[in-house]
Amino acid sequence: MFGFSKNKAKKKKQQDSSAGASGGGDITFAELIKKCEQSHDFVTFKKGVDHPFTLYYYKAMVNPLVIHQILLPQLIQHTDVSLKKLEKLLSLESTVYTNDVQKIQNSILTGSIFICSEHEKGYGILVPAATAEKRTISIPETEFSVIGPKEAFVETIEVNMNMIRKRLPIPELQIKEMRIGKLSKTRVAILFIDGIANKENIETVTQRIEKIEYDHIIDSNYVLQMITDKQTSIFPQLINTERPDRVASVLAEGKIAVLVDGSPSALTGPTTITEFFSSFEDYFLSWHVASFFRLIRLFGVLFSVLSTPLYVAVLTFHYEIIPSDLLGTLIASRSGIPFPPIVEAIILELAIELLREAGARLPSKVGQTIGIVGGIVIGTAAVQAGLTSNVLLIIVALAALASFTTPVYQMSNTIRLLRFPLIIFAQFWGMLGVAICSALLLGHLLRLTSLGRPYLEPIFPLRLADFRDALFRLPFNKQTRRPEHLLTQDPNRLNKQRVNKKDDIDE
Amino acid sequence: MTLIQPHEKSLVSPYFAFYLIVSMQIGVGILGFQRYIAKSSGHDAWMTVMIAGVAIHALVWMCYSLLNNSGGDLVSIHEQLFGKWVGAVFSTLFFLYAVFLALTALRTYIEVIQVWMFPHINAWGIGFLLIFVAYYFVSGGFRIVTALSFFCVLIGTPIIFLKYFALKNSHFYNLLPLFDHSLMDYYAGTKAMTLNFLGFEMLLMYYPFIKNPASSHKWSQWGAFFTLCIYTLTALESFAYYSQGQLKHTIWATVTIWKIVEFPFIERFEYIGISMWLFVILPNIVISIWVATRIFKRVYTIKQKYSIFPIMLLLWIGCFIFKDRQFIDALNTYVSRIGYYLIFFYIPLLFIIQRIVLKVKGTKHAKI
Repeated sequence: MFGFSKNKAKKKKQQDSSAGASGGGDITFAELIKKCEQSHDFVTFKKGVDHPFTLYYYKAMVNPLVIHQILLPQLIQHTDVSLKKLEKLLSLESTVYTNDVQKIQNSILTGSIFICSEHEKGYGILVPAATAEKRTISIPETEFSVIGPKEAFVETIEVNMNMIRKRLPIPELQIKEMRIGKLSKTRVAILFIDGIANKENIETVTQRIEKIEYDHIIDSNYVLQMITDKQTSIFPQLINTERPDRVASVLAEGKIAVLVDGSPSALTGPTTITEFFSSFEDYFLSWHVASFFRLIRLFGVLFSVLSTPLYVAVLTFHYEIIPSDLLGTLIASRSGIPFPPIVEAIILELAIELLREAGARLPSKVGQTIGIVGGIVIGTAAVQAGLTSNVLLIIVALAALASFTTPVYQMSNTIRLLRFPLIIFAQFWGMLGVAICSALLLGHLLRLTSLGRPYLEPIFPLRLADFRDALFRLPFNKQTRRPEHLLTQDPNRLNKQRVNKKDDIDE
Repeated sequence: MTLIQPHEKSLVSPYFAFYLIVSMQIGVGILGFQRYIAKSSGHDAWMTVMIAGVAIHALVWMCYSLLNNSGGDLVSIHEQLFGKWVGAVFSTLFFLYAVFLALTALRTYIEVIQVWMFPHINAWGIGFLLIFVAYYFVSGGFRIVTALSFFCVLIGTPIIFLKYFALKNSHFYNLLPLFDHSLMDYYAGTKAMTLNFLGFEMLLMYYPFIKNPASSHKWSQWGAFFTLCIYTLTALESFAYYSQGQLKHTIWATVTIWKIVEFPFIERFEYIGISMWLFVILPNIVISIWVATRIFKRVYTIKQKYSIFPIMLLLWIGCFIFKDRQFIDALNTYVSRIGYYLIFFYIPLLFIIQRIVLKVKGTKHAKI
């Protein structure tokens, strides 16, 4: 009992100290200024000794133009006005007259200038003058599309919001904003369309983001991992996208998006596993082509996950499966190789992973070279040296290629990792091992949820209506209703009768 | 006894009754049932399959009538009809039956693996692995169990199309003349067929987990019909493919037919088929274990997450005990016989008793 309370006290203390680190607590204005002045970029500026007004700001955070062109001319002209009067004189919006130390602190730290007068103790005006360097909007790189918009999110949340609002200019598009992270105080925005998005989903996201406890939030992927349903899972349960067009489109479907300041990608959810294999370009192509590519991608995933394990299983245990004509080729390719299939497979798989990782870490120009050098030179050398078989090299290279067709980066990582447990099971129990491992995988996928909604939908629970935009994509006039699994407030996308009205011949 | 109505979250839609019935009825039996039914009624045995199947339709109807009248599951039916203590005894017997059904599926599948894939593999080793996989699904709750049975049907059904390969070598004259056997032969064949259709009676326990359970009746009937079609097709195909003399010596007739499947890149399909069959066997084991734990929870109020371990241990011990063909054959025969009496005598008996009780009490209460 006592131990428990002691523990609690300790915890409390810890909380206090961390609160101290983030600069909260009840302190007076003088103390605040003293604390800030310890840092060299904090400026306390007074125009002349007997000038009544003093400016406090962080040099790195404010736009000098605001001081030079707006504040100083007024301050020089009017030396004997009250703060209230001065506030009116300034040609700036959303200035605040306050004596709340906490508020002053927060504002100064995010780029406001605090103006104090000698005549009014404690009070002052907060002038927003934040400056933020923006990267220019560039083309999407991880989710590149041949046709369609070529805008990608940047690190500034305002720009990102602008890109989304531009695409959905309706008052129903609402943004809930909050700050998380004890040290970073990162701005996080939850976007949804009121009247379409399911209230429960919004509630879930808001609650989970509010619950986040961490000292710094640098990127939306931090948030993704913290609000995801099952953090132990290898599968991503929310989509991370860098395309504002994709976000706008899923918002219109009734999903919820999360933007994080400083992160060039947005999170969207709730999502299903099929969405990870749909590229946004699918909507720009005609539906036949899009459906075909989606099925190709799905086949690519299956091939990528299963091909090497099946090679190991078949060559270790069940070579009877291979027809005699094909067996000749295989034997010729494998005859001089000193390793069992599992060693061969693991060496090659690891080599491919090494190449990929090296290519990703190096600057893009060198990275390309590494890919080519690695792929051609090392592969050919390994085969000629008799370390691996030609057939396996083909399989592994194709499997790697197939894994890159997955449009969502997180998912393609998952898929590349998935084959390793399968290879091990295949080595232990052959084909049966592959089946057992797949069964376990199926069990895992069945347990997953995304914001509380089933992950394998529309396959399980079976919702035939949602197949219209899952494994394949039907034409737009068939997409009359929003996905059922989102439980939207307004399930109708368009007027079905009007869209599908067929005119008579010669009418 | 504990609550009858399970949590809203674990309920499944009525149409899943179809998959639950099909996945439980199709299991190891279909890999080698032809020899058993042909023993008594020869090339006419495919008719016994249909007779047994039609009987199953009637029994499914009886189960629904029982369940709809009681509004609970088998345990509550037992309690209403026999009182708390006697009811508990009957429920416990059903529990044992469910465990043995799981064991039969598990051990027979392991035998198939031993015969066709890995001759020297330890039954207890591979058994442990399979039991663990089953545990992973059961511990996910009834929704996951249902999902598994759904995927089982999805993955298992395409295997039907492989029958095409055997068709090329079939002689449908093998099936003639029709009606070549005595009525008793048909009866014996029907009896032998029962083991393969067993499993639908698990419905008696998972009924409360279906949303609007009464409306799932038609889906269950469709499920039973689907199974009936698959078994009839398989029987017809096997009798047309094998001569009766061959069939006598073919223990795994279906698997043997897989051997003639040939693709340009696959020569011996049975390895793939048997591996894929895992997905067909798993629901058998998983649903049985789930039912067993559920009975334990309802009768003895032991949490499912605890009672699953002794059941798994029992299954594992079973893998040690049933060592060779004779033992496994005996296990199959006995479970088949028990199942036969259970569905053809016990369920109708319950049905009649409930009718009588309802008649007697009917004047006082609308329902029990």
